[in-house]
Amino acid sequence: MDAKLEQDIRAEFEPQIRACAHPQELVVHLLRAIQREHGWVPDEGVELAARLLGLQPIQVEEVATFYDKIYRRPVGRRVIHVCDSICCWSRGEQEIRAHLEARLGIRLGETTPDGVFTLLPTCCLGACGRAPAMQVGFRLYGELTPDRVDRILDEERRAAGQGDPP
Amino acid sequence: MSHPQVLFARRRPGQTVSLETYLQEGGYQALGGAVGKQAPAALRKLVLDSGLRGRGGAGFPTGQKWSFFPADAPGPKYLVCNCDEMEPGTYKDRELLVADPHALVEGMALAAYALGVTHGYVFVRYDYEDVFRALERAVAEAHGAGFLGERILGTDFGFELHVHGSAGRYILGEETSLLNGLEGVRPNPRLRPPFPAQRGLFGRPTTVQNVETLCNVPHIALHGAEWFKGLALTPGEAGTKLFGLSGHLNRTECFELPMGVPLREVVEVHGGGVRQGRRFKACLPGGASTPYLTAAHLDVPMDFGNLDRAGSRLGTAGVTVFDERTCMVAATLNLLTFFARESCGWCTPCRDGLPYVCYLLERFERGQAGREELALLKAQPAFINQSFCALAQGAMGPLEGLLRHFEQELLDHVTRGGCPFGGA
Amino acid sequence: MPTLTIDEREVSVPAGASVLEAAEALGITVPHFCYHKALGAVGACRLCAVEIQAGPQHGLRMACLVEARDGMVVSTTAPAATGMRRAVIEYLMLNHPHDCPVCDEGGECQLQDMTVAGGHGVRRYRGKKRTFPNQELGPFVEQEMNRCIQCYRCVRTYRDYAGGHDFGVLGVRQRVAYGRFRPGRLESPYSGNLVDVCPTGVFTDKTVRFRARVWDMQCAPSVCPHCSLGCATWPWARYRELLRVSGREGPRTNGFFLCDRGRFGSGHANHPDRPRTPRLDGRELGWPEALEALRERLTKLTWAHGPGAVGLLTSGRASLESARALGLLGQALGGAPVVCEPHPRRDRAVRALVAELGQLGRDQEDVRQSDCLLLAGLDPEGEAPMLALAARQAVRRGARAAVWDPRPDRLPFPARRIARLPEALLEALARPDGRAPDGLEAAERESYAETRAALQAAERPVLLGGADLLGPRGVRLLLAAARALSRPGRACGLSLALPGPDSFGGALLCPDGPDADELLAGIEAGRVRALVCLEADPLSEHPDPARVAAALGRLELLVVLDHLPTASAARAHAVLPTTAAAEMDGAFVNHAGRLQGFARVYSAGLPIRVTGQGAHPPREFRPDTPGELPQPGWAVLAALAGEPVELGELRAELARSEPRLAGLAGLVAGGPGVQLALEPSARERPDTPAEPGVAEGELALLSVEALFGSEPLSARAAPVAGVASEDALALCPADAARLGLGEGEPARLRSALGEAVLPVRLAPGLAPGFALVQRRFGGPLEGFAPGGGPIACRIEKGGAR
Ligand SMILES: Cc1cc2nc3c(=O)[nH]c(=O)nc-3n(C[C@H](O)[C@H](O)[C@H](O)COP(=O)(O)O)c2cc1C
Ligand code: SF4
Ligand code: SF4
Ligand code: FES
Ligand code: FES
Repeated sequence: MDAKLEQDIRAEFEPQIRACAHPQELVVHLLRAIQREHGWVPDEGVELAARLLGLQPIQVEEVATFYDKIYRRPVGRRVIHVCDSICCWSRGEQEIRAHLEARLGIRLGETTPDGVFTLLPTCCLGACGRAPAMQVGFRLYGELTPDRVDRILDEERRAAGQGDPP
Repeated sequence: MSHPQVLFARRRPGQTVSLETYLQEGGYQALGGAVGKQAPAALRKLVLDSGLRGRGGAGFPTGQKWSFFPADAPGPKYLVCNCDEMEPGTYKDRELLVADPHALVEGMALAAYALGVTHGYVFVRYDYEDVFRALERAVAEAHGAGFLGERILGTDFGFELHVHGSAGRYILGEETSLLNGLEGVRPNPRLRPPFPAQRGLFGRPTTVQNVETLCNVPHIALHGAEWFKGLALTPGEAGTKLFGLSGHLNRTECFELPMGVPLREVVEVHGGGVRQGRRFKACLPGGASTPYLTAAHLDVPMDFGNLDRAGSRLGTAGVTVFDERTCMVAATLNLLTFFARESCGWCTPCRDGLPYVCYLLERFERGQAGREELALLKAQPAFINQSFCALAQGAMGPLEGLLRHFEQELLDHVTRGGCPFGGA
Repeated sequence: MPTLTIDEREVSVPAGASVLEAAEALGITVPHFCYHKALGAVGACRLCAVEIQAGPQHGLRMACLVEARDGMVVSTTAPAATGMRRAVIEYLMLNHPHDCPVCDEGGECQLQDMTVAGGHGVRRYRGKKRTFPNQELGPFVEQEMNRCIQCYRCVRTYRDYAGGHDFGVLGVRQRVAYGRFRPGRLESPYSGNLVDVCPTGVFTDKTVRFRARVWDMQCAPSVCPHCSLGCATWPWARYRELLRVSGREGPRTNGFFLCDRGRFGSGHANHPDRPRTPRLDGRELGWPEALEALRERLTKLTWAHGPGAVGLLTSGRASLESARALGLLGQALGGAPVVCEPHPRRDRAVRALVAELGQLGRDQEDVRQSDCLLLAGLDPEGEAPMLALAARQAVRRGARAAVWDPRPDRLPFPARRIARLPEALLEALARPDGRAPDGLEAAERESYAETRAALQAAERPVLLGGADLLGPRGVRLLLAAARALSRPGRACGLSLALPGPDSFGGALLCPDGPDADELLAGIEAGRVRALVCLEADPLSEHPDPARVAAALGRLELLVVLDHLPTASAARAHAVLPTTAAAEMDGAFVNHAGRLQGFARVYSAGLPIRVTGQGAHPPREFRPDTPGELPQPGWAVLAALAGEPVELGELRAELARSEPRLAGLAGLVAGGPGVQLALEPSARERPDTPAEPGVAEGELALLSVEALFGSEPLSARAAPVAGVASEDALALCPADAARLGLGEGEPARLRSALGEAVLPVRLAPGLAPGFALVQRRFGGPLEGFAPGGGPIACRIEKGGAR
């Protein structure tokens, strides 16, 4: 985490924190912002959040380690969350997951050697009508087929290469 | 078969209703008609009379909940809208909010007025970036137009609405866990009593309602309790219901249908029947936590009372259909895996009991199970239903459904030494 | 008082009690993990299932969460309840490692007990177990996370109960772990409670890892000797070695918990240099010879020079019976008076309290139940650590708290603070009109007025103070303030931290003897020619060690009775080894005037670890026990007086001669103890003169106690050696800047206590005009005896250290 990031986060949050009767309520918001800027939340990010909110690092860590989508370990520039819940399961989720693993050459929980993709399972994305579904960053993709997955991966890889936000 | 559209009346595929359109199509009239003109207590009474029941899964009568709320107590009080929507098979709130976010803003402002609340939160799950954006925009628009903020519509009534983006955990849909999440502490559920109406967010009186519940309020305020009851097809029920279809259907979309619509109509007409001409085997009638219905239940009216009597629940009305080739053991294992993974880790039956159930189901799938495992499996719901909150109890829905309707399938796994459907 | 039926027996319990507590009242233990009397019910483990068969609720319920109601019929043995409990145990055991044979908790593990009791004898689960990495948490607490059953007791104790802020819950679902953000020493002074509250072997006492099974150890109910609060303990010993201390339930004192000083500071009993054999003029002797020789010399001195020729000095460390035996020796020597504390200011402060306290004394339970607290000149972490926890519980229940103290605030609860010496404020509080003292700033005046009003309005107000800072004058002011705030039917109580575990008892026995300065003057004048020190170390505890050293040098005979290798013992002509508290039966009177008994845990002796030089069992066979000679102080003194007694006789004598101690007769160790019936002394209250102020250019030095290493016991305990406070001089940043001193820079400190060169620590919470040091044995601050209150000092940039 660099100093610039800390400055930006401070600039973004200090006014909010001052205006807030219960600054602790901003902890998830703050962690998400750090993750947005840094890709994941390193230890220093937890400490920064704690400092800004007047908390102990452990109080932030307790929250950070609870949530599924706060990454406390490094991830690739694009995190693929492939849904494995019931509706997607009923419509070929296993095939999609196997295809993703084969194409990326990694298994669930791993990151491609080029650091572009991390593949993680997720529970239902609320796209059950468009199953099977996955989410890359905040972009939702439904009605997946192996072909469509290939196109999405290409597109996302290109976008990541250009430095587009996930 | 077309039915009256209330919540979806303004919905256009691929679009989000702007403030302008919302106003053109009668939006904020209910708010205008109530604030400063109608006593809050009268509005509460109206909601009570309408028979509106919570759409978040538990189906608790909304008016009754409001009658416990200390609306006249001094000091801060909160209204929270629950848009965590993480139960598999459930996506209705997303459809509703992406289509028509002002409906929620108006519904919350009205509810806040009725409850004497001045601060509200919409709690949005991490992945609903589309909903989050639509809501932030709607809130800003409503603020600009005087439907939110201080002195709404020139009256003494003020209401501030914040949109909170979560970070991904199903348990936050449980309302006390959600409140902890909003406070920025570990979101385990809270012990009750005290109930949120007494001590909720930041220790203050709080009401948590589902998106769809709140979106119904403006319509009730405009058209009255009798009209609302009349929307239902079955006696004792009220309103329409959003049904999110999924699984092995030809059309897996979200529909607004009258409360009490028969399951057969949902499956065959709106869902376009089971894919590839296969036979209907079972469905989850109301999300991942509801016991399965089978082909024998196709004529059950989809409402709170009838589904209870059929041994299941309306839940979130996310209908997931399984065709004849589905292994119900594998389906149940998938569901239980979800619940085990989303356990908050507070209580033993859920944290450790659910993984144990998964382990047992896996043994069936792998052909490692015998009668001892079957007996063990059967014993689990009684224990796991003693969990601290409803998450693990919800997980017992499909398991109990499996044991009730598909015991033979479990036995087949035992006798065949594995999954007869070639799963696992 | 609802009346209900549990397992076919009726019981009436106070309204609000849970079914679990009602069962407890019948002696029925409903198995439980997450419930704890001090932590309450949270409904997490789901083990405490019972079947409710009649009453307002029906069916299987969690006993800890259901309020007992009239007419309820409860079964703890119904098949549904036992089945549920068996299932919960099975769930908890799924991931539990099979490492009981190497687990320190084995034998005292609640999970083990429940697993056996619940009949879960065979593991049916064949899957993988979840595992965790362990964290290094410092020298006291060992973590073995895989053994966790997620009862959340640890975090509820550490954080909620004790106010620690470096420990929490991590993760989710089946991967929930407990620990710090980063590995490192647990910072809370109450960290050791993790060992007691964890029902399994996740948190165990690292200082005795792999040393003993619970059934290998001897234990008996005891009272903590590390401060004046008298917390209830279980010391545990094996092979003549005091291994560990755990908390015992003390309803009026500690509740359940202990501070880390009390828990980890007891290694003094195993100190390798501890006196174990009577020694006279450099020669080791047996008891009969030593006693005979000493008796003769003391008697001769008395005959030759009168009873005043022998001085008698004890301290708050000695047991009540030993202090009495010293008095009896004085009588046998013709009336030599006893000095009860080596530090004269401490001595006078304690005696002021004991003389005037009457019924105003408040113990830890009173503090926990209080609704308004004022801490005036008290630093609990150093003087009485558990008092801070007691106050915290009151604050958690809504009590208001105020602090009047110039020292930095390190309390585990929020309080309104006036950063000044409390004297003038207390004086104001004691006045009928209560008008604020002059010289306060506006905010302070307001704070003062608010605190006074709150104390007046409260139903159970308590004033807390520390004898060390307050001194006799401050103590009298605190007493006067308490009286001024009392009215008929509603007293304002008082809870004062004293120097030692029996300071109160010692002062009770000699209300108006001379103090240590008079004793020194007697030695200097040649009137006193011999001195008997009972568990007292004037060289370390008197504020003028140089003067003490000179005086001791003049003595014809210095006799030291002690179990510690003290500086004074090193200079003595005769050393008589006594037993530590865990090695004897005895009694202490705690700070609030509660008489409590403690029992012998084991017999003194050289640990087998020492005699066997690591090998076990030792191969040398002999009829006696090596190192077994130490005797209780009272027994040595009685023998020295030529009148050996049994403890019972001594107690009976004491109960007869001092009616306030009548309770001694029936005193049992491990019992609730006896609150002494105290009357405020009828004598006129002396007007204590104000202490000399601090001149221009000087700072007021406070030498205080740290959690570890400041009092003589923990200072000699191996486990805390590594964690004792650092030697440093704390200054507020403004004063440091004025003196041209920065953080870490050496400063030369000069005061009547001595001189030292110390690194500067900037302490923003310290009031301007003050300098603060923590006395530590074995360093440059050893001679800075606490208890002197603020004294003048000079500070300048220091040279080489
Ligand atoms: C595990 C769990 C998850 C839940 N998730 C949601 C949810 O995503 N949305 C929702 O509205 N209610 C959810 N609920 C129900 C809420 O606790 C609460 O009952 C509901 O928000 C109340 O609103 P309603 O009465 O309008 O339905 C959940 C309950 C549980 C136990
Ligand atoms: S059932 Fe228990 S562990 Fe599961 S989510 Fe609820 S409280 Fe947490
Ligand atoms: S570490 Fe011990 S006290 Fe803490 S939750 Fe685990 S078993 Fe309970
Ligand atoms: S189950 Fe995959 S999106 Fe709902
Ligand atoms: S003791 Fe009752 S739930 Fe744990």
